[in-house]
Amino acid sequence: MIWVGWRLQRTEVLIAAAIVALLAALLVPTGVEIASTYHRDGLSACLGQNTSDGCNQAIDAFTSQFDRLRSLIAWFTLVPGLTGVLLAAPFVLELEHGTYRLAWTQSITRRRWIVSKLGLSIAAALLVALGLTLLETWWHAPFVHLEGRMDNSVFDSEGTVIFGYTLFALGLATAVGAVWRRAVPALVVAFAGYFAARIFVDTWLRQRLVTPLSVTWPVLVRDHGGPRKGGEPASLNHAWVISENPSDRFGHPVSVLAGFCSKAQVISGNCLPHKASGYMHVVYEPASRFWLLQGLETAMFGGIALVLIGFAVWWAHERI
Amino acid sequence: MIYFHLDARSGVPTYLQLVQQVRQAVRLGILRPGDQLPTVKEVVSSLAINPNTVLKAYRELDREGLVEGRRGVGTFVSGEPPSPPPEGVKELRVALQRWVAKAKAAGLDEEGMTVLFDDTVRPPITSRVA
Amino acid sequence: MSSSAVLETDGLGKRYGSKWALRDCSLAIPAGSVTALVGPNGAGKTTLLQLAVGLSEPSAGSVHVLGRSPRAESHSVLPAVGFVAQEHPLYRGFTVAETLKLGRKLNPGWDEAVAIERVERLSLPLDQKVGKLSGGQQAQVALTLALAKRPELLVLDEPIASLDPLARREFLQSVMAVVAETGTTVVLSSHIVADLERVCDHLVILALGRTQLVGPIDEILASHRLLTGPRTDAEAVARVHEVIREEHTERQTTLLVRANGHVYDSRWQLNEVDLEEIVLAYLGHRGSAPMSHETFREAMTG
Repeated sequence: MIWVGWRLQRTEVLIAAAIVALLAALLVPTGVEIASTYHRDGLSACLGQNTSDGCNQAIDAFTSQFDRLRSLIAWFTLVPGLTGVLLAAPFVLELEHGTYRLAWTQSITRRRWIVSKLGLSIAAALLVALGLTLLETWWHAPFVHLEGRMDNSVFDSEGTVIFGYTLFALGLATAVGAVWRRAVPALVVAFAGYFAARIFVDTWLRQRLVTPLSVTWPVLVRDHGGPRKGGEPASLNHAWVISENPSDRFGHPVSVLAGFCSKAQVISGNCLPHKASGYMHVVYEPASRFWLLQGLETAMFGGIALVLIGFAVWWAHERI
Repeated sequence: MIYFHLDARSGVPTYLQLVQQVRQAVRLGILRPGDQLPTVKEVVSSLAINPNTVLKAYRELDREGLVEGRRGVGTFVSGEPPSPPPEGVKELRVALQRWVAKAKAAGLDEEGMTVLFDDTVRPPITSRVA
Repeated sequence: MSSSAVLETDGLGKRYGSKWALRDCSLAIPAGSVTALVGPNGAGKTTLLQLAVGLSEPSAGSVHVLGRSPRAESHSVLPAVGFVAQEHPLYRGFTVAETLKLGRKLNPGWDEAVAIERVERLSLPLDQKVGKLSGGQQAQVALTLALAKRPELLVLDEPIASLDPLARREFLQSVMAVVAETGTTVVLSSHIVADLERVCDHLVILALGRTQLVGPIDEILASHRLLTGPRTDAEAVARVHEVIREEHTERQTTLLVRANGHVYDSRWQLNEVDLEEIVLAYLGHRGSAPMSHETFREAMTG
């Protein structure tokens, strides 16, 4: 059965491996370049709260140099969906082409066939996810040193979430395909579902999984405008900032007077000095919650994936 | 070795066609005493007919004494073919020639004679629907 | 001739949604027989065969193969049943060799010698992808998969429907050779009767999801007669025999009957009927015969 299962998945697994290889071909040279730039510019000395102006400039230069590349790489978060859906294809094609009438009348039971086949798909999906996670974690390392890993696109590519994403896409495609029994539309619909789910989680759900913390801190205006860097509370270091606004001492938002400089404006260098409100109110998830959030999101996607796969197994076993 | 052929449209049951072909072959000397008939599997592989049909034919031939089945070995042509004595054949041929002359005089053509002959040889109840 | 039934159904029915594809099907296929399952498209032939091999579950009644339920006890039934589904599904991307390997891996009872012998005799190219073979060759590959597990029951769903005449002949030759050698029971379905008469010794006629006639072909041929005579009504005959079909012209009446004993009436000319004619009669043209379907069925399955 193992040989049969592998042989039936061979094409899809090789395509998935090719996709990962293609990604590697993109990530490895650029990643090497990023890492060497990081070391060459001596940016490792610039970590920590107390940074000199020289460091700030170096960091600015470094991040802006690779800004576009990072935006491009951010799209790679669709790859787990693509490969997950792809690995469901053999299962759905079996139903579409009617070859299950051959497979389920040899000497092994229907259940064993279904479970073995899906088991292999899951194994392949986990391997792909592992490859993607390792590649992307390595690639992002310099940026993580500087900015932490809580930011959306970095969070998506590290830790355990990719395993959840890939399994979810696989499960969705398998479940839709089991009922619909037509491979191309089922895979397209499943991928669209993956896309929608990811957007939903990334933009809305993730920040509500664990109640974020908030902090209000005084801001000192400098001669040439903008809050003094380094006055932020330590807990904000490498944190995921969900929202920030100028506020009063109690954290209540205050309408922004033209010219008050936010952190982003400071970084970009556009800032006109005017009267400052005095305080900044930030809602955030601290870096210490990285693994908690990773675990929750992985469990969510992974759990739904298992339910979907279970449904597909049940449907194929009982209803076909 | 005898090769069987089937006429699906003749109206004659398959097993009977096989029987007739064996009888014919023995009469003509194509099959001689001691010759082995094709195995059931061989006949069935070449003609795509049910094995039981072949078995039925061979049983009939065995019953007539034309062949004998040897278990585990095959079916063989036995002894001498039960042909009518030469004298009887001669007389029958002469009588038949006289009948043909009479039939022609009565206005029957070859086809008419064949129909009459067929109808007489076979019992009337078993004529097939066209 | 064994009397034990290899395939037995009792009131078997299958429903899809609100529509019954098969209903009230009761039959017993004796061991060693070659049974033709005939009927028009949509009659329920595929449904019946899929129930027999455990690909679907009955909605009513029961089906047993070798005394066991094909669905509930599939691990013991499947090794004994060889099945070729309609259009002989195969993995088009596999080579012939890989297809046989699949058979070997998935069937503990696989006899490699049988598979190799067939492949060599039929000159099937081992390294060619199945999708590139001719229809006849694909059918033979599918049949090899079914035969090499040395089944006790061979089930073939419209195996020759899409084949050219030569391929059809070769396919049936293969099947008959196996029957001659091993006494395997065969059930094969078709919507064409002509091919089956010389190959099969039992018949099941299926139409509109119900069995119309079941029995040995010898008996069926011996018991059905065509009665031709001057124009009259069928009542007198129908009192004694079962009228399957009646046709009237201005001057003549033709009845196809299943005779209950001998037909003595001198008014009628008696003729035998060939199998195709009998099947057609059961499939549609029952005319105005005042016979309930239940009586038909009971009489036929006897």
